Amino acid sequence: MDLFTAMGVSSSALSAERTRMNLISGNLANANTTRTAEGGPYKRKDAVFLATTPTDRFGRALAGAKAAHLRQVTVDRIVEDKKPPRMQYDPSHPDANQDGYVAMPNVNVVEEMVDMITATRVYEANVMAAQAAKGMALKTLEIGR
Amino acid sequence: MPIDGIFDSTVELLAKSVDLRTREHNLISSNLANAETPGYTPKALQFEESLQKAVKKSTVGHIGSPSVTHPAHIPLRGSADSIQQVRGTVIDVPAATPGRDRNSVELENEMSRMMQNQVLFNASTQLLTKKFESLRSALREGK
Repeated sequence: MDLFTAMGVSSSALSAERTRMNLISGNLANANTTRTAEGGPYKRKDAVFLATTPTDRFGRALAGAKAAHLRQVTVDRIVEDKKPPRMQYDPSHPDANQDGYVAMPNVNVVEEMVDMITATRVYEANVMAAQAAKGMALKTLEIGR
Repeated sequence: MPIDGIFDSTVELLAKSVDLRTREHNLISSNLANAETPGYTPKALQFEESLQKAVKKSTVGHIGSPSVTHPAHIPLRGSADSIQQVRGTVIDVPAATPGRDRNSVELENEMSRMMQNQVLFNASTQLLTKKFESLRSALREGK
């Protein structure tokens, strides 16, 4: 059944967007974290998406005309933002340097909120696509009824 | 469907329509899945025109044009595109204003295409159901 391919493609996007949403949550949670295991302030993380050939339920790549132009999405890698830390003047902070500045994470809360809305909308769109595929598959079962 | 007597070209056409709209839905799903992938260009299946031509051919020039009922058949003159042969072509449909990551998927566009496709898919399946229903009714002598 070819509509299952569509459902697989949609679910790949759901898991990719969920990964992205997890990263956004992490970024927002650590918007003020000045200490990390690697040392220094928290660095913003982002997912890099990659379009790949769809796979079947057993993870094997589909071949032939069925999947010729179809692309599912996978998280290629998770990257750290190279932007410099935000320097905030707070001499009383234990992590302040000699000049009284604290290196704060390079997370922009407004940007993260915008990314969160985008991720939500794309997630919803893919849920709709999966529901549509399910509806179409069920509709075909009615042909012989 | 080679038995012309019972299953006329309507069934063939509707079945093809369901098939092509399934493929179109696969492409739309793929576009939606890659709505955030850098450098991705959305794709669509174009088949309406070639399907229309095939319908015209099957209704007008049916006599003397051997039908192609198997993928390995070589089409003879006059049967170049029978309904069963229509495959449609996959075309790139980039949005007018791609983002900075060269991704040209427009969510609204894809959603409306998905809805249209779904409605037409449901219409085709409904018509097929009705077609078979009336056939069955005839088999039961209208009972």
